[in-house]
This record gives sequence, C-alpha cells and structure tokens, in this order.
Amino acid sequence: MKKKVLGLLLAATMSIGMLAGCGGSGSADTSASTDTAATTEEAAPAADTSSEEAAPAAAASGEGKTYALVTKSAGNAFMELLGQGFKEAVEASGGTAIIKDPASATADAQISEISSLISQGVDSILVAANDENALQAVLQEASDAGIKILTVDSDVAANSRAVFVNQASTELIGQTLLDACYDIAGGEGQYAILSATSQATNQNAWIEAMKAAAEADSKYANLELVEVAYGDDEPQKSTDQTQALLEKYPDLKVICAPTTVGIAAAAKVLQDSGSSVKLTGLGLPSEMVEYIGEDDAHSCPYMYLWNMIDLGNLAGYTSVALVNGDLTGAVGDTYEAGSMGTFEVVDVNGATQVILGNPFKFDASNVQEWADKGM
Amino acid sequence: MAGKSGREISAVPEGGLKEKLLTWEGALILIFVAVNILGVIISPVYNATNVLREMPKYLAEAFMVFGMGYILVLGDIDISVGSIVCLSATMACFAGNAGLPFGVVVLVCVLTGLCCGMFNGLIATKFTELPTMIVTLGTQIVFRGIAEVSLGSGGSISMQNTEGLSLIAKKIGPFPISFFVLLIFAIVFITLLSKTTFGRKLYAIGSNQTAAKYAGINVQGSRFFCFSLLGFLSGVSALFLLSTLYGANTTTGNGFEMEVIAMCVFGGIATTGGKGNLIGGFIAAFIIFCLKIALGQRNINTQLILVIIGLMLIVSVVIPGLGSYFGAKKKSTTK
Amino acid sequence: MKKKSLWQTLTGSREMSLVAVLIVLLIVITILSPSFLSPTNISQIFRNNALTLLMAIGMLCVMLTAGIDISITSTLAFAGMTIGMLQKYDVIHNTFLLFLIGTGIGIVCGLLNGVIIAKAKVAPIICTMGFMYIWRGMAYVVSGNAWASGADVAGFSDFGKEGSPGPYIILIVAYVIFFIVMKWTRFGRKIYAVGSNAEAARISGINVDRTVISVYTIMGLLAGLAGVLSVSIYASAQPNMQYAKEMDVIAACVIGGVSMNGGRGSVAGTFLGALIIAIIAKALPLVGIDAIAQNLVKGIIILAVVILNVITQRMMDHQNLVRREM
Repeated sequence: MKKKVLGLLLAATMSIGMLAGCGGSGSADTSASTDTAATTEEAAPAADTSSEEAAPAAAASGEGKTYALVTKSAGNAFMELLGQGFKEAVEASGGTAIIKDPASATADAQISEISSLISQGVDSILVAANDENALQAVLQEASDAGIKILTVDSDVAANSRAVFVNQASTELIGQTLLDACYDIAGGEGQYAILSATSQATNQNAWIEAMKAAAEADSKYANLELVEVAYGDDEPQKSTDQTQALLEKYPDLKVICAPTTVGIAAAAKVLQDSGSSVKLTGLGLPSEMVEYIGEDDAHSCPYMYLWNMIDLGNLAGYTSVALVNGDLTGAVGDTYEAGSMGTFEVVDVNGATQVILGNPFKFDASNVQEWADKGM
Repeated sequence: MAGKSGREISAVPEGGLKEKLLTWEGALILIFVAVNILGVIISPVYNATNVLREMPKYLAEAFMVFGMGYILVLGDIDISVGSIVCLSATMACFAGNAGLPFGVVVLVCVLTGLCCGMFNGLIATKFTELPTMIVTLGTQIVFRGIAEVSLGSGGSISMQNTEGLSLIAKKIGPFPISFFVLLIFAIVFITLLSKTTFGRKLYAIGSNQTAAKYAGINVQGSRFFCFSLLGFLSGVSALFLLSTLYGANTTTGNGFEMEVIAMCVFGGIATTGGKGNLIGGFIAAFIIFCLKIALGQRNINTQLILVIIGLMLIVSVVIPGLGSYFGAKKKSTTK
Repeated sequence: MKKKSLWQTLTGSREMSLVAVLIVLLIVITILSPSFLSPTNISQIFRNNALTLLMAIGMLCVMLTAGIDISITSTLAFAGMTIGMLQKYDVIHNTFLLFLIGTGIGIVCGLLNGVIIAKAKVAPIICTMGFMYIWRGMAYVVSGNAWASGADVAGFSDFGKEGSPGPYIILIVAYVIFFIVMKWTRFGRKIYAVGSNAEAARISGINVDRTVISVYTIMGLLAGLAGVLSVSIYASAQPNMQYAKEMDVIAACVIGGVSMNGGRGSVAGTFLGALIIAIIAKALPLVGIDAIAQNLVKGIIILAVVILNVITQRMMDHQNLVRREM
C-alpha cells in the first residue's frame, strides 16, 4: 500500500517535472527556434519558386547559419577527411559546421542522427548515405521542416535530396578501373573484384559500370571477370576472400578492390605471399604506401581515388550555396565553390549531380607525398 | 508466497538499501526525471515537441522489451531479435511491392516474426540441453542470412507504396500512434506477468525449473509460448521501424538484441531468471531513449554515448550487489 | 560387432565425435575443392583464425566457471587500437613493449570484469555487456576517427606476417600451457570445481572469488594479446575490428563441448570446436557457394553441429544407462 502511494507520488512529481521542464525549455527556447523558423521560411519559398532572379542576392557567406554533415560511421578515416574538408569550407563561409558520426555504419543509426539535427534546426544536412532507400522518410521530414538536403559520396533516391555531390561520375570510375585491369593484365586474362558488403551502394554502382564498360567495347573481350567477392570491409574476411580467389583461380592476373579496407587487406596478402597477381582499385594513399610500386616486390602498381578533402570542401560550399539560394539543385545551375571555382549541376540518368572531377591516379611517384599530406 | 504480484520477488535485495531507494522502479522514475532535467539543461532544443518527434524510431525498439522481459524472467535469453526484425521488415517490403494490400503486409510482417520466434521456441524446447544463447546465436545468423539471400545483390529494398506506412506513422496530437500501441501492449503484458497465474508460473520456472515442472507447470509449453511471443513482438517492432525507414536492408536491426537486453537489465530484470518486472524495463527503455536524444542534440560523440550507457548498466547492477555485499559484512561483524 | 564398437568409440567421447564431425566436414570440402588440405591452406587457416583460436581458451576457462564474457572483442579493439595509435604517432615501435602494453590493457579490462562479477555478484553476461559498450567506445575515442595502417605498423607487422612463425608459436605455447594447466595443476582443478559446484568448492577451502577473478583476468589477457596479434597479422588497426566476433568464440567453445552451465569442457574439445569454425570460414568462399549465401550456410552449419552434439550426448547417456542395466 505504502509503495503504491509512493509510486503515485513519484509519478505525479515526474509529470509535473516533465511539464515544467517542457514549459521552461519551450519559453527559454522560443527566441532561438523562431529565429531558425524565420530563416527557413525565408529560404523555402525562394527554393520553391526556383526562379534565379527571385533568389535573394545574399552575400556568398553562411554567416550565422548551421550546416550539418552525417557521415557513414564513426571511426572511419575516409569519412574523417571528408569531414575535415567540409568543416574548412563551411567555416571559410562564416557558418558553423556540425559533423555527426553515427555509431555504426547502418541506415538505422543515420536516422537517429538526422532526426536529432532536425530538432536542432540546422539549415542544411549533407548525408553520405548508408542505404539508398531507408533514409527516405526521415529526409522527407527534414525537408518539410525547411532543411536543405544534399548527399555526398553515396546517393539516395533523387527525389529525397536537392543535389548529389559526386566524387567522379560512376561511368568514369567504372571505365577507369576496367582500363587499369586491362592495362595491368596486359590486355587479356582473368580478373576478380573484391568489394565491401553486398549492399554497399557505390561499390555496386561502380562494379555495374565496369561490367557495362566491358560489354560496350570488344577490346575487353579477352578480359574475363571471374568473380565478385565480398570482404565486408573487415580485414579478416577480406583476407580470407583474397586467399580464396588466389586458390580458386590459379590463372588470375588482377584483383580490383574498389574499397579502402579491401584493397589494403588484399595488398598485404598478395605482397606477403609474393604472388604474381597484381592489384588495383580505390584506396587511401596513407593505407597503401607500403604496397604501391612498379616492381615485383610491391603488389599494387597503381590505384585511384579522389581528393577526399576537396570533396568535403565542395560539399561544404554546395551546402552554403543551397542554403543562401545561389543554387536550387536544378540542372544547369552554376555556383561558386569558394577557391575551387565554378561548378555546374548536371543530369546523370535522371539524378542531379555536381561532379568533383576525374579519379586521381596514385602510383609510386606520388603516393608518399599524398600520404604525408594526411590522406 | 508469490504475493500479489511479481514485484515481491524483485531484483532489489531486502535490507538497508530498500529503505533508501524504496524500490528499483521508484529509483528508475527518479532517474527518468533526472535525465529529462539534464536534457533541458544541456540542450536548448530539448522540449516535448522535439523529443516526441525523434521518438518513433526508438519506440519501435521498445516493443521487444516485453517479450525479452518474459524470456529473461524464464532464465532464458534470445539474441536473434535483431535478425528477426530484419527478416520481418524485408518480407513485409516484398509483400508490399508485390501489390498486396496493406493489411496483408502487416500480417506478413508480424507472422514472419511469429514464425521465427516459434522456430526458436521449437529448438529451445526440443533440445533443452542447449543453452538458448547458443540456439539463438545460430538462428541469429540464419534469419539474417535468409534476409540477405532474398535481398540478393544490392542488399536493400524500398517499400514502393508508402501509404499504409505513413498511416501508422501518423500522430494523434503530438503523440505518434506507436506510442499508444506501445502503451496498450505495456498494460496488457505488464498485467499478464504480474497479475495472472500465467505470469506467476513464469517466475516459478525462472526460479527453479525442476521444481516448477514437478509442481505441474507446463515448463516447455510456457517457454515455447514466450519465444513465439518475442518473435511476434519483433515483427511488430519491424512494422513500426518500417514506418520510419520505408525500406529494409541487410543491416536493419543490427545490434537491437543487446540494446533490448540492456533495457531489461537496467530495468531490474535479472538474466538469471525469476526476478524483476516489466514496469522497470519499460521505464528503463524511456530513460535510455531520452538520454540518447538529449546527448544527440548536444552532438556528443555517439561512441561516448555508448560508453555512458555501458557505465549506467554496470552501475545499476553493481549497486544492489554492493548493498548485499556490505549488508553481509555488517551482519557478520555484528555477530 | 566390430561396427558397434566403432560406433561406441565415436559416441563414447565428445572429442572423438568432434573429430568425426571434422573428418566429415573435411571430406565434403575436399570433394568440392580438392586442394583444400594443402600446407599453405592449412597454415592460412591457423593464421587467419589465430584470434578466435586464442580467445577460445580464455572463453573455455570463463565458461567452466559457468560464466560468459561478451566484452572480449571490445577489449581486443581497445588494446589493438591503442598500440596502433602508439605506433602511428611514433611513440613506441618496440614490438616486445607493444605486446606488453596490449596484454597489459587486456589484463586490466579482464580484472575489472572479474572483480565486479566476483565481488558485486553481478551476472557475467550483464557485466561484460556493459564493458562491451565501454571498451568499444574507448577504442573509438582512442582512434580519434583515424586508422593505423601498413606503413604505421611496419616492422611490428613482421611478427604476424605470412611466413613468420610468430602467430603459430603464440598459439602452440598458449594451447600447451593451458592443456597442462587445466589437466594437471591445482589451479585447473579449482576452475572445474568452482564451475561444477561453487558452494562445494567454497566449503572444501577454495577461494571461489579469487578463482573467478583470475579466470576473467586470463580472458582479458588473451583478448589483449589477440588485439596485438590482430594488428600484427592484418597490419591494420580500426576501431570496429572484430566487431561482434565474440559470438564466434562462444560458438567455438559450445561446439567443442564446453557446457555453459560450467564444469564441463576441455582444451582439446575447445581446440576442435574453434578449428571447425575456422575451417567453415576458410572453406565457404572456396567451395563455390554464392557470396550472398555464405552467412546463411555458416549459420545452418553451426546450428546443425550444435544440435548434433546434443543428439550424440543423448546417445552417450542412453548407452551408459544400457550398460549399467546390463
């Protein structure tokens, strides 16, 4: 009995506390929230009318605005570089950058982060999506709240965001990787692909682009793709998978790993075992210094990537441009990206994109230099 | 002996500590209030509107607390729930995209969960020598494996017709529908465990399975029922998760099992069986949600949030332990 | 008659039935992939799964006391990440010192587990779940979102390089030590005693708390060592390393016949269990199973082997009963 009374009492105090808390925070916060509401309302119609003349000719500064980035996951060096670039660009424009690293590399975890950013009333959210479908609902909610949505590194469905900041066109990456395999294999022979997880959006897109490019030109007729293996971006599984590829295909000439963890693991396996199989793909210079070289002592003659810091920079400037109305995300829009010059929104298969440039080649001559730069 | 409710055999030890904290549930309510006050202090945007808006994604997880509570009271454990959520959500998406009406989609989602739960229950009751941790470890890999195979390369599916989903994602006033459903479930399952003979039987099984068996309780039947129930609730969970995701992929529900077990344990349900009650687990779930939301709004490193939750978990189980430790010492010295 | 006695030896001891499972598994794999039992492959199996094999011994000790430790891969990541960062920022490059630091971290983590479980009477799964979150989080904090990679750990990674005997030596030494300890020393007997009946053990003068603490400390030590080894073998330290792999270790032990209720299990059985898990991991990509279905197949095999275990156990009991009646 005593317990019940006490429970009721506690419940009562709790609810009072709750109400007081909410009321208190509500009133204390009104100034701030109306502030953001006002700015977003201002910005929203500008975007809706989508007439460039109507867009406020505000200075290209992000003064007083908040720009957020949701990375793929915490503890990811690749994403850390993106974050660095993003922060530089945003701060150069006078804005505030919030970088959120989800606890794990899942869409579930990203939803919590985006949800929290909506509460904070940020002006734009830049997402490196872990899944192209599962963020749809929360991104819709964010844009209903007047927040500008854009994606970087890996895209979501085109109607969920204003623009996708792409590192390099998917077709070009596919073509480049295929050419690398062709070149290293000497024009003919077997090659295999070691990817990340089976649902990694960009890896899948690049692999598809490689296959399409191989179909398109008879030059690649003697180049045979034997298997796509998945190392799940885990060193151990990637090692197992690489060894299995070597075992299964004694005539294998090249392995192509379009993922940073996979390429490093595969490089170590090939180099340590002194295998004649060569490696190429997409990798971080700092991870690969040990393994890049023309001679037989190194497993990877060359590989590609793009400048992640530049990508972050561009994404930062694009966020700023989108928020202050310089950019609406329509095809043909052009805008200034700080010191990086002018960029134009293009249409790739019905998806609006801004493309950073071409994949950059890393070989023995420049890899050390880039690794020293921290990339 | 078992008294009016399961509360009489709660995790709180008899003696000095009880007077201080009254009951663990009382302490949890205080912690809940404290977390909310903390939220208001550290985050300028921590208010009812925002908390309720961020809540639906977390609420989906809370459904499993009831089922897991039952399982833990039995002295069992189920670490396959995350995978069940994944499989249910995947199957629901396939059903939805096949053009089936939303009612059928809901049925598919929930029934998939139920089937998985029944499969767990079947193995757990047919091979009683096997610890349920191992059974569900195996099915955890298998269920997610089935989802992976059916999703094929790409590993992701989106629900094309989102009408039904947006319906259950709707809000009544400021509260999401899932909140009311959760409340109803809470009332039903909390009453079932603490006020009925069925509930008392579960405590009996958890306290001493052999004794329960000789007392004429259908031990294996009850265990089968609880595993099926948890499967069913994981299906419900998947449904509400879908209403915030509009799609599923191979990582959906990853790590849910540990989070749900943590909520139950933080709520005072002992993994050794026979102790604790669901109200605690229910409040604990909200404490963890509110804490995550508050710290999230403060943009605190997500991994640091996990460290904080880990610490809370350990402190919450160490306190009663310390109580009995010092209590025992005092007793022995007074002798 | 002869057939029956063979059947009896097979079902008569758990290790023998495991050997039988292993042989069947190997025959199936060899048919599908004839070169599976080549020396290179065998050495790769041990090297790639050195971590599971190593931690399985610790898990055996923990499970013998009716406990469980699910914080091990978090401890592994914390220790591994720490020594990775120490090298990245050029603090320490001495292999021996790094091993010492990594295992030291492991010991501290394990000791904490042990003290809380033994002294505060906390259920092992809960205590270690808390630390699972804490140490994993600490690994992320230590990393500061950076990775230690090939060039950072050059020199140190020679220890675990392909062709280097390092990992094998550690494995052999660990298994030999624990085989002796568990079979012929008082400490080993104490662990079994505590797990079989803690109350009886206490009455017969065994310090139960101290035994439990030392068991978790051993587990921590091996997890820390595995963390160092992991960085050395893969030349990479990332905060999410070996995430959720503690379940593989637990599965290895259970397949190896270790009872989760304590008191039953052997080093030889654990070794065989871990070996089965290792062979599955190695064979799945080789035998031509579709990449996407590999997890499913792995799960089914684990479930099947575990259930098979129960069935042979039941037969064993039945046989004993029949024999007694005769």
